[in-house]
Amino acid sequence: MTAATALVTSPAPRISAAQQRAERMARVRGIIFAVIGIAAFSIASGSMGSEVTFRFWIQEQGGAAWEIHTAAGLLWILAGVTTGVGGLHQLWKGASVSWRRWMALALPFWIAAIIGTLLAGKPAVMTNLFGGSLEYAFPIAMGAFAAMICERSGMLNIAIEGKFLLGACVASIAASVTGLVFVGPVVAIIVGVGVGWLMAWMAIRHRVDQIIAGTVVNFGALGLTNFVYLRILQLNTDINTPPTVEAIKVPLLSEIPVLGPVFFSGTPYLYIALVTMVVLTYMLFKTRWGLRLRASGEYPNAAGTVGVDVIKIRYRAMMLAGAIAGFAGSYLSLHSAGSFQMNMSAGKGFIAMAAMIFGGWNPIGAFGAALVFGFSDATQTLLSSLGVDVPPQILTSVPYLVTIVVVAGLVGRVRGPAMAGVPYEQG
Amino acid sequence: MSGLRRRLRPLLVPVLAVLSAFVVGSLFLMLSDLKHLAMIPTDPIGALTGAMGDVINAYRALLLGAFGDPAKFALAFEQGTPKAWTTALRPISETLVAATPLMFTGLAIAVSFRTSVFNIGGDGQFVLGALGASIVALALRDLPAPITLVGALAGGVLFGALWGFVPGFLKARTGAHEVITTIMLNYVALQIVQLALRTDFLRQSTNSQPISKVLDFVRVPLLIPLPGLRLHWGFIAALVVAALISWFLFKTTKGFELRSAGQNLTAARYAGMSAGGSIILAMVVSGALAGLGGAFQVMGSVTQMSNDVNSGYGWTAIALALLGGTRPGGVVAAALLFGALNNGGHGMQVATSIPLDLLVFIQALVIMFVAAPDLVRKIYRLRPPKPEVAATATEGASA
Repeated sequence: MTAATALVTSPAPRISAAQQRAERMARVRGIIFAVIGIAAFSIASGSMGSEVTFRFWIQEQGGAAWEIHTAAGLLWILAGVTTGVGGLHQLWKGASVSWRRWMALALPFWIAAIIGTLLAGKPAVMTNLFGGSLEYAFPIAMGAFAAMICERSGMLNIAIEGKFLLGACVASIAASVTGLVFVGPVVAIIVGVGVGWLMAWMAIRHRVDQIIAGTVVNFGALGLTNFVYLRILQLNTDINTPPTVEAIKVPLLSEIPVLGPVFFSGTPYLYIALVTMVVLTYMLFKTRWGLRLRASGEYPNAAGTVGVDVIKIRYRAMMLAGAIAGFAGSYLSLHSAGSFQMNMSAGKGFIAMAAMIFGGWNPIGAFGAALVFGFSDATQTLLSSLGVDVPPQILTSVPYLVTIVVVAGLVGRVRGPAMAGVPYEQG
Repeated sequence: MSGLRRRLRPLLVPVLAVLSAFVVGSLFLMLSDLKHLAMIPTDPIGALTGAMGDVINAYRALLLGAFGDPAKFALAFEQGTPKAWTTALRPISETLVAATPLMFTGLAIAVSFRTSVFNIGGDGQFVLGALGASIVALALRDLPAPITLVGALAGGVLFGALWGFVPGFLKARTGAHEVITTIMLNYVALQIVQLALRTDFLRQSTNSQPISKVLDFVRVPLLIPLPGLRLHWGFIAALVVAALISWFLFKTTKGFELRSAGQNLTAARYAGMSAGGSIILAMVVSGALAGLGGAFQVMGSVTQMSNDVNSGYGWTAIALALLGGTRPGGVVAAALLFGALNNGGHGMQVATSIPLDLLVFIQALVIMFVAAPDLVRKIYRLRPPKPEVAATATEGASA
């Protein structure tokens, strides 16, 4: 829990209507969880016989493997027990029980049970699944960090998508023209900072609504990058074939059995995301910069009164966010695809916003949420590669639906910065 | 100030905004002109004039594509054959066809902006409206055509309204920010459409692409009885709906409540109005309008449901609502302009092979300039508006 939310949810002297509502919601949640838990048992009884294999590569793909064999029914029972007990606990104790902890405990069993049942006997290669999740999670996590910095400073930034596209486009061109990989991300960062400044300038200097400013950037970036692709890149493919970012095996750490291939054989992007998460957490909650940033988002008038330059903070936050989002955009063209393609961000910028909310406006939470969303992508890839016919649309919708549920506070309400999106008038 | 000047004054900023957007657009057009950029070292003047000539050609092709070629009109008058008239009228017909969905989504967004609800889920409401219309049309295909058609349109309205109701209800009841929920619902709607297009009920089995069966058995009647002109009664319906929305917003009690909630929620609440009710109503009306637009699109213009039925109409609608000052009449005018741009863009793409996407970028610039009127005034050194004018001008923009 973040410092800001702790401040808000600290117990009031008497029970308020909101608390009563929270209690009621908690009981309802408890009942629902318990019922779902029991439902899992009925599935379990039907699938005791079917075997599930989870395979982890110890060192490299196709080499020696470590396998877990179990029955799908057993996984369903574990999912049912954890959910059911969590529900009863919530029902018994009310809102003081953290549903998130129980969810965190039960979720892996649910996922394992569902995947196991869908695969129907085929082995699930968990190394690829986890590695894939991390890979898919990168742009989402970075986008979430960018959006979070803005919202913490009081600026609503819905233009992560547009910055991804611009970053991907310029990174591909820059890296192709110079032939040097690292030039791509650098140029993408510069462009991202520029766009961030433009948005802040529109929103602060010219009082354009922040959502409108974001729409301008998203729309403009889509039009501009499509235009550049069709007019220039399609005909001159030599400036859209950048050198790609190669995976780096971290010495020693990548030798660790099972964990090495998942965590320490990725591209530098992965490590940068992890470092960003740690640094950002420290910066937000332990430094003066972070305190001022959060103050600008929570109560800008108070911050302004004690001499904090709210306007400057918001400009800088938008530019920093632009840098992060532009950098993440470079990943799309330099890593995944190896070239820029039209609309290649495909809504990842909006999923990033979802991850920010789901993660409670907090870097570690956002990274976790990005992993969950990345996992749903990776699962889809795994299932389709094994020829399991599940409509991909159902899995794709999950992050969006989860976000709606979380924003609406139906399950574990999260609260964003109070003044995100509200213009600040310097008095 | 004379009456005419006072009436034209609010048009000044939008017109200048569109103009500025085109100027910036032409700069990008010239910067991406590799052929002429390469000429700069040897022949800078030739490069500049050549590039500018290309820009002028492109915008000329845009105008011809949007409004038709005067020469062809002359030919049509001379010959008087249906074929000549078809060629002469097709660009205008296509412009109005392109404007029709924009009028619906633009009105949808304008209603929500008036109530200070940021419905950016026009895309989702539009595609679900189209889906609803296709489903109902296929389900009722054995009934008399008028019944099927009315049913299909109603289906579109219903699906769109439902997709507007969800974020409205969540906002009113739980305070969930409608920007977030509508963005997410856009994607969910897209997935629902893809899922629906997998079913045998909807899918055209002979096609490898996910596209529905042809729905031309209940097409919206065409407006001009010439073969090859797609303009249909949906366009007239959009005009009627715009008039109805105008009446609803400015002449009814409910409309007053919506606008009051939009201007000052606290004051509206003190006056005994239900803020939550206004938000839900605005979102439902908004969703229904977008859904109706989707229904007309699939039953009138394209006659087949697919993922491509929507091309960002929900997002463009934000530009339209702003450009039209969130007034139905203004939105209709803005939609006609953007319809002309989109359709003219096709003409430009064919004639000069400049990608149509340039116009998406130009539209984004239009939003930027319209949303920042003081920027436009500064560029053109206009006097700041008088207080009374300011009040009406910001009324729309700040919604």
